Amino acid sequence: MTKSNEYDALVIGGGIAGEEAALNLANIGYKILLVEKDLSIGGKMIHLSKVFPTLDCGACITTPKVSETARHPNISIFTNSVIEDIEKHYENDFSAKLVEKPRYVTEDCTGCQICEEKCPVVVEDQYQWDLVGRKAIYVPFSIANPRIAAIDIENCSLCGLCEKVCPAFAIDFSQEEKIHEVNFKTVIIATGFELFDPTLIPRYGYGRFKNVVTAMQMERQLVPTRPFNNVLRPKDGKMPDNIAYVLCTGSRDETVGTPICSQVCCMYSTKQAQLLMGALPMADVTIYYLHIRAFGKGFCEFYQQAQGMGVEFIKGKVGLIKEKENGNLLLRYEDIQEGIVKEAEHDLVVLSVGILPNTDFSTMFKNVKIEQDDFEYVNQVDELSSPAKTNINGVFVAGTSSGPMDIPDSILSAGAASAEAAGYLKGGKK
Amino acid sequence: MKNRIGVYICHCGSNISDYVDVEKVKEIAGKEDSVVLSKTTMFACSDSVQKEIIDDIKEQKLDAIVVASCSPKLHLFTFRNVAQRAGLNPYNYIQVNVREQCSWAHSDNPPKATEKAIKLVKAGIEKAKHSQPLTPISIPSNNAVLVVGAGIAGMRAAIELAEMGTEVFLIEREYFVGGRASQWNELFSTNETGREVVSRLYNKIIKTNNITLFTGADIDSKSGGVGNFDIKIKIKPRHIKPNCKLDLENFKKAVEACPVDFDDPFNFNLTKQKAIYKNYPSEFPEIPAIDFDHCTKCGKCVKICSEIDLDQKEEIINVNVGAILLTTGSSPYEPEISEFGYKEIDNVITLQQLKRLIELREGELIYQGKKIKNVAFIYCVGSRQVLGENKYCSRYCCTSAIHTAIMLKEKYKGINNFHFTRGVRTYGKQEILYNKSSKQGDIFLQSFADSPAEVYNEKGQTFVKIKDVLTTDKQLEVKADLVVLVTGMVPRENNSINNILKVPIGRDKFYNEIHPKLRPVETVIDGVLIAGSCQAPLNITESVKSSLSAAAKVNSLISKGEIELEPTLAQIDKLLCEWCDKCTSVCPYSAIEKKEVNGKVIAEVNEANCKGCGICLPVCPTNAIQLIGYTDVEIESMIDALID
Repeated sequence: MTKSNEYDALVIGGGIAGEEAALNLANIGYKILLVEKDLSIGGKMIHLSKVFPTLDCGACITTPKVSETARHPNISIFTNSVIEDIEKHYENDFSAKLVEKPRYVTEDCTGCQICEEKCPVVVEDQYQWDLVGRKAIYVPFSIANPRIAAIDIENCSLCGLCEKVCPAFAIDFSQEEKIHEVNFKTVIIATGFELFDPTLIPRYGYGRFKNVVTAMQMERQLVPTRPFNNVLRPKDGKMPDNIAYVLCTGSRDETVGTPICSQVCCMYSTKQAQLLMGALPMADVTIYYLHIRAFGKGFCEFYQQAQGMGVEFIKGKVGLIKEKENGNLLLRYEDIQEGIVKEAEHDLVVLSVGILPNTDFSTMFKNVKIEQDDFEYVNQVDELSSPAKTNINGVFVAGTSSGPMDIPDSILSAGAASAEAAGYLKGGKK
Repeated sequence: MKNRIGVYICHCGSNISDYVDVEKVKEIAGKEDSVVLSKTTMFACSDSVQKEIIDDIKEQKLDAIVVASCSPKLHLFTFRNVAQRAGLNPYNYIQVNVREQCSWAHSDNPPKATEKAIKLVKAGIEKAKHSQPLTPISIPSNNAVLVVGAGIAGMRAAIELAEMGTEVFLIEREYFVGGRASQWNELFSTNETGREVVSRLYNKIIKTNNITLFTGADIDSKSGGVGNFDIKIKIKPRHIKPNCKLDLENFKKAVEACPVDFDDPFNFNLTKQKAIYKNYPSEFPEIPAIDFDHCTKCGKCVKICSEIDLDQKEEIINVNVGAILLTTGSSPYEPEISEFGYKEIDNVITLQQLKRLIELREGELIYQGKKIKNVAFIYCVGSRQVLGENKYCSRYCCTSAIHTAIMLKEKYKGINNFHFTRGVRTYGKQEILYNKSSKQGDIFLQSFADSPAEVYNEKGQTFVKIKDVLTTDKQLEVKADLVVLVTGMVPRENNSINNILKVPIGRDKFYNEIHPKLRPVETVIDGVLIAGSCQAPLNITESVKSSLSAAAKVNSLISKGEIELEPTLAQIDKLLCEWCDKCTSVCPYSAIEKKEVNGKVIAEVNEANCKGCGICLPVCPTNAIQLIGYTDVEIESMIDALID
């Protein structure tokens, strides 16, 4: 085993929580291995527009953190890589397999994107939540880190055009998966969350009706690097002027297996509604809700601000969505205050999808088993006084791996994980 | 004078470029003399653009750079770092704020926003021309911290800091540790009691080497700054001899002998207490205390227990620490008299009183001699106020009320719970509790801000009335045996700390962090951090997360032995200074002292204390003071560019 494979801490996941935890530990002086399965670090947050309740632009807050993480002398980052077979030998003594997947593009890539122009294959762009296409060779997104192209080998036609045009000679089809044996003394799980798949509620028509989109698709239309440079409805490219939000899509709903509240959807919808009022000054925005959960610092005031701007909040659960010939949508809902079932027409419907645990962490451990709670998040064994502690001594949890939470809470949770990990590193057994 | 300046105008995605014509700004900036390069960028802060700027500095041999983007509060250090990595002195970097000050402020008038941006950029270029290379001051830092408040947040941070190798002084204003949590019985979601958590943490603190705990202690004064605070701590006497071996029998007798009876704040005035007291038997530290505000010094207890010493005096202790962490917590909102019948109708109490009541009453729930069956909870008392000042949501109260309602039904027979809500906010996994209470038959009603529930008394019977949104705005009325006001959180009164430390306070009266996402536990006062519910309403888990987060920040700030400080300090010209005392009297940081140099009396700046605020400059009659980094020549050249 070479010395370069020895680290103090393994941080799994390079989203905002993983970055915060890694930076805290690195600033204390520990050596960190940060492993991200995606092509870029930055997690979900880097794809957001402005973030509540301060309406700071998301990129302005993440990119410096991303950049600080990327160039920190104490942090080694592996993107497009996964961790397998974590074994605990003693306290402060863990090992694992780090699997680095091939990118087929070397680090000589300058991100010039000439290859993208030439590549003949077009597939849906997952970083724009399938709103637009991308090529089989692509720089993941404009503020990706590292800003290096990758080849989507499953869709690549192996025509070799990219190799011919690359001015940096960075294309390498001979790359293979590399496996590194790594050792470390503590682990922070920061694998984050997944979004609820709304096709599981067929009566909302997602996937069938083009003008029913998810909140993440709307988010992408509101960011500065938005694909259409405007908010358009997918079916016909018309600018919508009567937009509906359906809250609790896949949250607080036992029929889809998620009885808990996702904690962020009320606020992100309220935020998007405010941004829409700016982007489309003539548009009406209606939010159908059960309860508005504006609980954090500055949230209630933010909710009142949206009401003041003219966003309409209707207390009622949407039961069914139907499509009209012109692409408009009919929402059947219970108006709770009036006690009757009503129907309303909107030209764009945004499903405020909830969040679910990314359970990748559950299969990463080999000789120890990580406990999960009733909702499949990482179980917090001492929630009240050591919120980052898991059932395995020396393994800590940060951010949404332990439950739904917003960005400020994720950052604090990551801070807690880094403090507990630092205490464990210093004191050994805990 | 710098004469190879690079200028970068940021689109900030579209935050700036939607309103400011960035191409025009770039063109005009490029024509300024000494500017050798002028560019626009999509996100100047992104890693790829940072690399591009570094390459430009090296290749074009730039001697100063200007980035026109967002507020320096966000990215001053990002770009200073860029300069540094390129081998340029970080203080030859100038940030111009064309987002908050141009595009956002003047989104209604893009041409004017552009015009203003051009002027600000020109001024920035002028400042860059005159900018001097500066070196940050490095001061030694003591790897010790003062944690103020030994509630769960403070105790938890203290333990983690000690484990990370930082010496901790933990002070608590009360005689006993635990804060609010010690008043609570079972907690959501683990059903551990607050007292069990407190005991667990206290026992750990006692076993940890480098934590020194002072109870009955408050900050008396502070001098120095980050890395090196000198703190005087005032310690109230306990009036029990130290190292007292507590004889429980004697203590009980002493309590019985005490003739003083007053409302017990621990039980929110539901019971009376004596001047010699412990709030509960297993409270820590184990030794009781005497409340001298109420003690009549009659001496009856002294006759029973020789360990009591009524002559103990207040002590002052000096500690030196590198940082201060405030975990001073919160209090329940105290309703106004007659607010929902409070203190006017005798069966109206607060949620916190009910929680104490449940603990005090075994078997049957009896209040004011009457057996309780129908309990009406009124939500958002002191939170989300329409008329009052507290506009914020107190976050923990919905869950706390529902959890308490569940406990009521579990402990007593025949209870009916009615919840008069403003919309239930059991966010996240707390939703499970809401489901549980609904399934056990609790009735939830809801009104909006404009029609709050009403409490009134008719012929000795208390009623709660509501226009209920959930039943098509019907007027509903419940005959209540007990009305429970679900009161929110307000910060503790910390007047002495606020005066001494001057931590900024937000509109909601809680302490304010620098930025909720970038620097959530730091304040604008270097070396003073905040955590837990002194910052915003939080539940226990959330408080602990924030306090551990602060522990990590404190440790990385002070554990390296030295801290770098900004070199933007006041500098006094020894020849011009005529010592008139005007600067010392206005300095808010006591950073200027009288000094004799070669027979001449002049003013001298203490570098560790000076914050570079510049308030001393305008009062100097001989113009002997310059602010490094903001010298007269820099500021005047900027003004010239602005009015040109």
